Amino acid sequence: MALKQISSNKCFEGFQKVYEHDSVELKCKMKFGIYLPPKAETGKCPVLYWLSGLTCTEQNFITKAGYHQAAAEHGLIVVAPDTSPRGCNIKGEDDSWDFGTGAGFYVNATEEPWKTNYRMYSYVIDELPKLINANFPADPEKISIFGHSMGGHGALICALKNPRKYKSVSAFSPICNPMLCPWGKKAFSGYLGTDQSKWEAYDATRLVKSYPDSQLDILIDQGKDDQFLKDGQLLPDNFIAACAERKIPVVFRLQEGYDHNYYFIATFINDHIRHHAKYLNA
Amino acid sequence: MEERTGRAPLYNQDPAPSLTAGQNFNFYHMDLYDSEDRLKIFPEEKFQMRGEIAREPKRGERAPELSLATYDVQKEVEELAQYYGLEDDKELEGETEVGSVLRSGISEYQSAPSSLRPHTVPKRRDLGREEKDWQYLGEEAGEEDNRFPAWGSRGQYQELREAYRYARGRSSEEYECYVIPEEEDEEEAADIFCVTCKIPIRAFDNLFGEHKEHEVTQLNTAAENAREEIHKNMFKLEEQIIQMENFASHLEEVFITIEENFGRQEQNFELHYNEILETLAQKYEEKMQALGEKKREKIEALYGQLVSCGENLDTCKELMETIEEICHEEKVEFIKDAVTMADRLGEFLKTKTDVELSTHPDFEDQTIDFSDIEQLMDSINAIPAPCAPVINTQTPNSATGTSVKVCWSLFSDDTVESYQLSYKPVSDGAQSEEQKEFSVNVKESHYSVTNLMPNTQYEFWVTASNSTGISPPSERAVYVTAPSPPIIKSKEILSCEHAALVRWESGNMNPVDSYTIELSKVDNEEPGNVVTESIVGIPTCESLIQLQPGESYLVYVRAINVGGPSERSEPATIRTTGTYFHLNKDTSHPLLSISEDGFTIVRGKGESSTREPCDSDIRFTRCVAVMGSLIPIKGQHYWEVEVNEQMDYKVGVAFEDINRQGDLGADSSSWCMSHTFISSRHKYEFLHNGVTPEIQITVPPKKIGILLDYDSYRLSFFNVDIAQHLYTFSYPPSTFCAALFFLRKAWIVKSL
Repeated sequence: MALKQISSNKCFEGFQKVYEHDSVELKCKMKFGIYLPPKAETGKCPVLYWLSGLTCTEQNFITKAGYHQAAAEHGLIVVAPDTSPRGCNIKGEDDSWDFGTGAGFYVNATEEPWKTNYRMYSYVIDELPKLINANFPADPEKISIFGHSMGGHGALICALKNPRKYKSVSAFSPICNPMLCPWGKKAFSGYLGTDQSKWEAYDATRLVKSYPDSQLDILIDQGKDDQFLKDGQLLPDNFIAACAERKIPVVFRLQEGYDHNYYFIATFINDHIRHHAKYLNA
Repeated sequence: MEERTGRAPLYNQDPAPSLTAGQNFNFYHMDLYDSEDRLKIFPEEKFQMRGEIAREPKRGERAPELSLATYDVQKEVEELAQYYGLEDDKELEGETEVGSVLRSGISEYQSAPSSLRPHTVPKRRDLGREEKDWQYLGEEAGEEDNRFPAWGSRGQYQELREAYRYARGRSSEEYECYVIPEEEDEEEAADIFCVTCKIPIRAFDNLFGEHKEHEVTQLNTAAENAREEIHKNMFKLEEQIIQMENFASHLEEVFITIEENFGRQEQNFELHYNEILETLAQKYEEKMQALGEKKREKIEALYGQLVSCGENLDTCKELMETIEEICHEEKVEFIKDAVTMADRLGEFLKTKTDVELSTHPDFEDQTIDFSDIEQLMDSINAIPAPCAPVINTQTPNSATGTSVKVCWSLFSDDTVESYQLSYKPVSDGAQSEEQKEFSVNVKESHYSVTNLMPNTQYEFWVTASNSTGISPPSERAVYVTAPSPPIIKSKEILSCEHAALVRWESGNMNPVDSYTIELSKVDNEEPGNVVTESIVGIPTCESLIQLQPGESYLVYVRAINVGGPSERSEPATIRTTGTYFHLNKDTSHPLLSISEDGFTIVRGKGESSTREPCDSDIRFTRCVAVMGSLIPIKGQHYWEVEVNEQMDYKVGVAFEDINRQGDLGADSSSWCMSHTFISSRHKYEFLHNGVTPEIQITVPPKKIGILLDYDSYRLSFFNVDIAQHLYTFSYPPSTFCAALFFLRKAWIVKSL
């Protein structure tokens, strides 16, 4: 589990770094970005995991979201992994932008040929945190998760499948109900097979219904002019309805005029950092 | 002998020459003593000399002390020598003479002349006169030589020595300096101290001498102990001196007092006796005058009687003559005249001749009235009636709400048996009815008058009286009672984490000078209400006080006037765990009713109408809303509102001057969270300027937390139960504003 530093740049008195390592879960080299706030030089800090969306690498978030200042102020380590295994030479992995490379969908694949490498769920909730906790001044008890689009879906399912593992969760334009949207149907049938009962384990809206308590504070921002919202890829209303029914606290903000890209994320990233900091620094 | 010399070190500060300086010269004024006495010295001398020789080597150690003492003695001796006209001219001869004298006198002494000489001779300049004495002594000694062995008993020596001391003590100039050689023994450096015998001894003695096996200590230690004891005694003496000095000055004071008192009494007597003498003299004058008058009156009366008596006599004589003449006349004529005469005579005899004494010659007994004199005499010993006392002005802070302490004093040393203190409330001119006066009799020159009205002015005056009479009344002094305690308007207290705005009613009809706030932190460990902070000099009936966050305080208010502070008001509790305010009924829409505690709003049934009569400028007329004032303090304010999740409501903040006819959140003067419940769906809006973000909230809040942060320009709303942040307005009002509530349906909003 040797870490190889790829880059390191000083940023708001802390450091934005990129590391590479050999992943046991994914059986390939994986990169991740990590921001170490100035506070990490003197003590352990909470860790906030960011899951990116379709087609992204670890680079998109760390270069575009502009979260560093807020993270430095609140003393949060922010870890941004890649979105899928890479270079596994699986037939068809690079055929489409919404499946395979850059589209891991944060599930543990059960279908050949994906099930050997495409274990992003275990990577995110298990291997990566262990790696971070072992190599950085991270407080293992204080972790939260958030993400965008497919990453938003990832963040929600990680939080909902592991009650109390994450102190808080938030999402930008998440794929809220993948079982019912084209992206999700494609990915789940590819990775998990055609048995839809298996899909439910990775569907946020379904997971809400079996979530055991209401100790999770969920913040969701959604651009109103998001093409994918209109296309029915995201389906936040299903999720909100499920949460309202289950009394799981969600604040869902439909932001007038914003679309699906990183400008929208950058606009509201501070709200999300603050949302997590409230729980992580409590 | 041993004992006496043994104590010598303790006395080495004693300047008495007899104790210290004997070894260097021996010179006696022999006139004092008869031959026997003189010669008694010699055995002692001999003894000394021997001791000297034996201890010679040790003496150097103590030389500094001794030389000082020696010097003193030497000086004294010189002075005395001069006084007696002694000459120094035979100095050198003396040296040899001494030796020879001694040799001739004492056979044993010859064994050690060489050692004696360095001690007795070389240091002395004035040996001349010694020589003379020695010479003298030598002669005497020679005469008595044969008796010598018998002398030298200790007792004899003692006598001699005491005799000397005694004589010297009385008048030293009668004697030449007189140094007894035995002193040398005291200077012998005893090196340890025998505790058993309490004397310094030589270590040698401890081993072999009579102090064998006695307990010993180091001489230094012993000396130190002794010195300490002496010091102790000195302290005692010093204390005694101070005591005596104090006593003396006390006596002096008593002298002065006696002087004064008697002087005063003398004056008093003089005054009274003069008065009596004057009165007596006056009385004498009066009596004498009255007596003279009486005398003149009597004499005048008698004189008048005498005159009329003489007249009568004359008339009688004339009648007699006439009758005699008639008798000598002729018959006819006689008859004629006789008839006339008889008529005349008859007439005359008819008139009564008064021979009664109109006045008694004797002195009428007159009693002299001495009663006034007696009274005067009595008054010499009686005391005069006192003068009017002087009433003091009120001592600040001496009054309570129902009592004042009045003090007065006397002008002079009048003797007073009791005072009568009278008072009445000061009536302002408007009140025509005369206020009732009260009086009390007091022995002391002060009195606490009770059962008064709070914050009221009273006029006091006092008279003093004794057996002789009553003084005139003093000037009138106005005292004022302390105010009544104020009444805190606990429903109008506004507070936040760092401050509280406390308002109260004066509780007094008349104005008071100021108010004081007392704060006591409520501590679970110490329930006693210890005042931790006071704020004084508050001129108005409200005060903004700084507090520490997260505490609970009891606040009291006192009213202050010249007389003092009032009792504490009833306490009000302030908790600095959030922002507290009360709903202002004056702003409330007519359909809203606010509960007794000022925290709960209930909307009555009925439709809001714009035609609702407007009885107040600050009352909401269109919107069914009410406002509550926030404490005017910058910083963060947080309060919570309990709502019913199926109720339509708006909660938020607005400027105090929000348009009462407008909708909440419709313009730039208010910010609010709005909830509407339509067909079992919750709709939440965060309204300002009529716009809201689109927000969905999955868990309807039952308790809304509102955080207004003037510093970071934020107004945030929270679902308190699950600590969920709902929405934050950036750039809300930076000036002070009020909390705002609006109800669309008949439900209850409760602010906490």
